[in-house]
Amino acid sequence: MGNRITQTEVPKPVGESKPRLDAREKVTGAAIFADDIQFGNALLHARILRSPHPHALITSIDTSQAEALPGVKAVVTGQDFPGYIGLYLLDRHIFCRDRVRYVGDPVAGVAAISEAIAEKALELIEVEYEVLEPVLDGEYGASPDSTVIHPALAEYKAASFILPQPGTNISNYFKIRKGDVEQAWGRCAAIVERKYRIPHIQHVPIETHVAIAQADETGKVTLWGNSQSPFAQRNLIAQALGISQSDMRVIAPYVGGGFGSKAGVSMESLAVAIATRVKGRPVKLVLTREEEFYTAFVRQGLIAYFKMGCSEDGRLVAMENRFYWDAGAYTEYGVNITRASGYSSSGPYEVPNVKTDSYCVYTNHPVGGPMRGFGMPEMHAGLEQCIDELALQIGMDPVEFRRINCLKDGSILVTGSQMHPTGLSQCLEKTAEAIAWGHKALPSAPNKRRGKGLALMWKAPAMPPNAGSSAWVELTEDGRVAVGVGGQDLGQGAFTVMAQLAAGALGVPYEWVKVSTPVDTRYSPYEWQTVASRLTWSMGNAVVNAARDARRQILDMTAEAWGEDPDKLDIIDGMVVSYSSEREVPLKDIVIYGLPKPDNRGWIGGPVIGRGKFMPDYVTGLDPETGQGERAVVHYTTGAQAVELEVDLDTGQIEIIRGAAAFDVGKAINPEMVKAQIEGGFVQGMSSALFECMQLKDGVMQNPSFVDYRIATSCDIPEGIKTMIVEVPQDDGPWGARGVGEHSMVPTVPAIANAIYDAIGIRFEGPPFTAEKVYLAMLEAGIIT
Amino acid sequence: MAFEGTSGGYNGWIFTNLASWFGLSYDLEEIPTTMNTLPRLPEFDYVRPETIAEASRFLAAHAGEARPFLGGTDLFVQMRDRVSKPKYLVDIKCLPGMNDISYDPSVGLTIGAAVNMNRVIAFPQVREHYQVLAEAAQSVASYQLRSRATIVGNICNASPAGDTIGACLLLDGVLNIHGQDGMRQEPLKDFFLGPRMAALRKGDIVTSIQLLAAPDGLTGKYLKLGRNRMSDLAIVGVTAIGYPDQSVASGYRMKIALASVAPTPLVVDRVETILGETSITEERLILAAQAAMEACKPIDDVRASARYRRYMVRNLSLRAMRAVWEGLQGRAA
Amino acid sequence: MGFHRINLTINGELEQVDVPANMTLLELLRESLALTGTKNGCAAGECGACTVMINGEPVNSCLVLAVECAGAEIITVEGLARDSQLDAIQKAIIDAGGVQCGYCTPGILITSRALIDRNPHPSEADIREALVGNLCRCTGYVRIIEGIQEASRM
Repeated sequence: MGNRITQTEVPKPVGESKPRLDAREKVTGAAIFADDIQFGNALLHARILRSPHPHALITSIDTSQAEALPGVKAVVTGQDFPGYIGLYLLDRHIFCRDRVRYVGDPVAGVAAISEAIAEKALELIEVEYEVLEPVLDGEYGASPDSTVIHPALAEYKAASFILPQPGTNISNYFKIRKGDVEQAWGRCAAIVERKYRIPHIQHVPIETHVAIAQADETGKVTLWGNSQSPFAQRNLIAQALGISQSDMRVIAPYVGGGFGSKAGVSMESLAVAIATRVKGRPVKLVLTREEEFYTAFVRQGLIAYFKMGCSEDGRLVAMENRFYWDAGAYTEYGVNITRASGYSSSGPYEVPNVKTDSYCVYTNHPVGGPMRGFGMPEMHAGLEQCIDELALQIGMDPVEFRRINCLKDGSILVTGSQMHPTGLSQCLEKTAEAIAWGHKALPSAPNKRRGKGLALMWKAPAMPPNAGSSAWVELTEDGRVAVGVGGQDLGQGAFTVMAQLAAGALGVPYEWVKVSTPVDTRYSPYEWQTVASRLTWSMGNAVVNAARDARRQILDMTAEAWGEDPDKLDIIDGMVVSYSSEREVPLKDIVIYGLPKPDNRGWIGGPVIGRGKFMPDYVTGLDPETGQGERAVVHYTTGAQAVELEVDLDTGQIEIIRGAAAFDVGKAINPEMVKAQIEGGFVQGMSSALFECMQLKDGVMQNPSFVDYRIATSCDIPEGIKTMIVEVPQDDGPWGARGVGEHSMVPTVPAIANAIYDAIGIRFEGPPFTAEKVYLAMLEAGIIT
Repeated sequence: MAFEGTSGGYNGWIFTNLASWFGLSYDLEEIPTTMNTLPRLPEFDYVRPETIAEASRFLAAHAGEARPFLGGTDLFVQMRDRVSKPKYLVDIKCLPGMNDISYDPSVGLTIGAAVNMNRVIAFPQVREHYQVLAEAAQSVASYQLRSRATIVGNICNASPAGDTIGACLLLDGVLNIHGQDGMRQEPLKDFFLGPRMAALRKGDIVTSIQLLAAPDGLTGKYLKLGRNRMSDLAIVGVTAIGYPDQSVASGYRMKIALASVAPTPLVVDRVETILGETSITEERLILAAQAAMEACKPIDDVRASARYRRYMVRNLSLRAMRAVWEGLQGRAA
Repeated sequence: MGFHRINLTINGELEQVDVPANMTLLELLRESLALTGTKNGCAAGECGACTVMINGEPVNSCLVLAVECAGAEIITVEGLARDSQLDAIQKAIIDAGGVQCGYCTPGILITSRALIDRNPHPSEADIREALVGNLCRCTGYVRIIEGIQEASRM
């Protein structure tokens, strides 16, 4: 059960923009990231031999020469590790065994006394391949003509809500059948039918993946890594190696940017596997930037078909969607994107008739995994453009169209459940106003065209129905408070927020609270993963519960010692006070040693440790045939973004002049940090709209470097991004809070696409809207010569 | 990835590549093969000679195995990408004269090979007399890279995408080279043989570049098109200069050099002719821009298509020439 | 491959080290001198996470050989604060909220410090241009730019 809290009493520092508690160590260079950890001269260095083919059988591997190289301590291949690994679907080995399925697939691993020797050893490993026909398109991969990449799909274990289609490349198939779409088209005054192709992109965290693993002689493993998900990594890797979860320990220092790339398991299992072969020495594996681009996780590509229709008065009547997710070689994580997009496939609108077919398709492309938005940016990219087109077709303003159709409290969702109270309409109004919607500003020069565009979004945390959080709160003799959590700070500020929540729930100043880091599965309490924008809500609930538990213990023991009613006691600024007797005692005096009994014959209390947990208990399933269910998700965060931009007619370059964004976060625990998330997501979304694309040719990424995979720099951001916070409380979030980390990247691509259309009347099959693409399209359209 | 626009290694021998000679095919830059990038630099020996003669001798004696380097930003990336694997790296940054930048109205501007781009940009006489060179240098990469990148290195790298090469070409740059046979001068216009192919011989060390005394009233513009606003390589680069010249019918000499649209940096002579033979008008500028478009030989690559590059040559040449023309008018008035 | 003995000053302290020819300044700092504040983001001079000051100028240390730094004065992020007093740029970036994951932060601080040293009152355009060689994926640069503006006012 969550905290059924009302907004009546919000204790400080909840709601205040407190400075980050990790800021100082980050600006002094003292903050320890995974590659900073010192291991001494026991440390070995690993390098991985990877497949040069997108699809091939491994016919032979000869590692003998590599093993003989002085300085090499271990060489491993897939033959050494038969187990399957995966989060939602066990479709992957740690090292390839009989088959490689993408360029970069790990074939062998070497540990040596230096990276250079390990690299040399790779050159001595001889691998023979029998090349197979690759599948390089998501839609083609779903057709019966395509080579089957996972012939054993029928045997793979899958989570109950994942529906693989054996004998095909479809590892998950999610359906929505709501109402009667076929009948409904006849009632539509306007219909829009479009195809969109969203390319693969990558998270590009500035820190690449790093993992150091050590196995002792009994086989117990320690893994250090920049992990978003220490407990999930422990669980998945232990299972794959056939060891017990308790015999594996994961220690996770600061993460230098995650965005989903460091969730689940990608390269960490390689380091662990190699470590099991080197008798107690730690083995470090670091991805180069080039490897980071395509060998860990990427964001999968999408081919999306939309058809939507509305009535004369602008009400959405029907939607029909087909999504082919180019999910890559292994879809153990990506399968859930298929589902999440399916149950969100109406967009944030009430639509009485919806038919959706969402396919997770194996291809011989890099591995698609969780990336900020988990399918929502890819889906909204096309959906929100269709909404604009539909509105314009019936001669209605796109903002007005959204005003009518956007979800409100009680709206019936695409899954048949009901929408909870939401500030989506407020987000829409604020954003439209902030961008001065309806007022057309003059272009800044004769060779420019100006336009405005807006888009809405929604997203629910995509996770199993029983993803849980736990926390403890421990007090010390100096009155300080330690909070234990299993979730990670990736930069989003999770630790700061938890400290604020604990301080508020307990009654101590923010400055007294520290979060016990690094997260260490030996000492930290369980957390499912730091993904899905779920920590503020879920882990926050656990922290608040733990703080309240500690508070209850303190007040109960004090009440007993003083012979008073505990309901008349309080903790204020670290002092236990009595409203009735006006007695007071500082926390630090009692939280370890307790208090003397009233008659001085003994002591009451003892060390105070509060504990708390949170797991939603109300998520029901969805009917596999119709996608309908009572409550498929915990909640949705909604929001809106708008941009004003100019197109240069001479070059096709797009300049984003300003942006506006509003999100309903329920309750902003730290408003400035929420705004910082909105800004960062806007820029990452803008970057994906204008620049980013993994150029895959025959399965090979052509641009795996910063030179040719461009991301936004300080010179690309607009003059201003107006960020606005809407607060319609989440009924079971801490003081009403829900998450926002991912959401600010979701509507940016369609907002920009809609603005480009406003400026020059052209739409594209998909981002990035590069200068070249725009210029050649304008040429084609006769706008320029 | 060979990051261009920096200092760095240059060849000690002449390549021949017939396809490139005829412009039939070329790669602007080495695109890295995805599998091969090393995590660290490979092993090599570092040599720092004390004199230019010593350096030259060493390079000649170890031809094929030794590479001179200045800022190294281009070279080190190539080495990680396994494109280059020299046994010896010869550091020539501290040799006498390499670090000097000077201006003499009778001789012109002399930039030592090791002078980094930030220093060139900040040099008062560059700002005063060779503004277009400063503008081109300013567009290179980032401040950090410009702390190491050099004009001479940019030239010896011989990438057609070099931002500062155009200005040096149009200002009749001359390289001072110390070779096995002693000092010689090499005019820039004959220096580029193909993509990353420079007319250098065994044992050659370029010690400085000299730009002639800037003509009176010199105006220039460098326009660079990148995929984002700044720090990119040139997808297309246009250097335009102009100055009053009574020996020319129009009264002005205007020239254009193009980056990234041919196997070598490209000076479009036809532009000079069109804008020299009769009075300069907007129509003449448009004609000249068209000529630039027709002269260029861009390719399709991972960065841009040939078709787009051709149009950008036209549009940016026009923009650059208009800016120069306006500047000249301002002065003439 | 030869080793070279070099003397150099790092954050005001004289160091003498024996370095292999192919060791970069970044590797020297992180692996030999335990100065792990400076980060590796790409090893190719593109992301700026490795930015340090060499003789007062910001440089990508991943593309400088350690042996080239003989006699040089190096400043890393660890050298910005004095006696536990944060530098103005460090304080300002915290106050502005320009730190999220913190990985780009050391490089950004060095670039910003060098900018203000050479241009005490930079315009927003100056700041944006100076930062173009420091990639950040978390903040969108907004609060970093605000922080530098504030620091230049201090």
